[in-house]
Amino acid sequence: MNTYQWLLVFHVTGAFLLLGGGAIAAALNLSALGRERPSEILLLYGLIRIAVVAITAGTLLAFVFGLWLVHEAGYGYFDGWVVAAFVLLIVANALGGAGGKRDQATANLARELAASGDAPSPELKARVRDPISLALSYGSGLVLIVVLALMVWKPGA
Amino acid sequence: MMLALIRPDSWNFPLFLHILGATVLFGTVATVAIAGFASRSHAGYEQLLSRVAARTFLFGVIPSFILMRAGAQWIVGKEFPGDAKTPGWIDVGFIVSEPGALLLLITGILIWVSVRRGRLMLAVPVLAGIYVVALGVAWVAMSGKP
Repeated sequence: MNTYQWLLVFHVTGAFLLLGGGAIAAALNLSALGRERPSEILLLYGLIRIAVVAITAGTLLAFVFGLWLVHEAGYGYFDGWVVAAFVLLIVANALGGAGGKRDQATANLARELAASGDAPSPELKARVRDPISLALSYGSGLVLIVVLALMVWKPGA
Repeated sequence: MMLALIRPDSWNFPLFLHILGATVLFGTVATVAIAGFASRSHAGYEQLLSRVAARTFLFGVIPSFILMRAGAQWIVGKEFPGDAKTPGWIDVGFIVSEPGALLLLITGILIWVSVRRGRLMLAVPVLAGIYVVALGVAWVAMSGKP
């Protein structure tokens, strides 16, 4: 395989880790929505950390090898689709990071409640279903799908 | 180099569906593996984790497999119409997706049995893990086109 092909392998690996990690987080988050016991919510939120590792590694791989690919393939760093993809990748990470911080606070509350009797709590239930947290996390996923579309169509290239 | 990167616009939508399906398939099968391995080390949560695996399989793995496979067939039909011989990197994709469907079917049956028993069998995360590795081989072949 030539340099371009190897770069594409690592870039696509990053995309799989990024979008696949998002799918893992979504599946576990959706499972947590229906739970009441704090220890169960804590367990599911804890497993989401595996997704966060995949998302972080995927973002780095996709970004670094994406930049390298732009150079190798002869595209311009200021081409509209390239700029839009990088801006949207940053937006997706910002949204996901903000949603993740709120989820971490929810996990901390679940940990406290689990340690003190593990009884269902209306406050915890409300935080798990918090529409702002859900909008931030799922909004991040939607933005990543738009980035994937930009990568495939490359409008203006 | 640029010529090699250009493809007809009509290939883009099926390619997008194929990649989207494949990435979600990777994530949802990984979730089944994660839930399965976690159930071995979290006593008292076996029922919860077996339900997580079952719902993820039903609402994530099956739809994303269909999306990935339909997108693949659609774009192969455009790129290699009729009896045109397909290159090895496409054959790798078929090797992963077709026997892989059987592997997923067995995994799904074992998840269903596990939910009834209230505990995920060890074979569930093992098979899901094998499929995740197979998907990794497929995406290296599909993107590198060696």
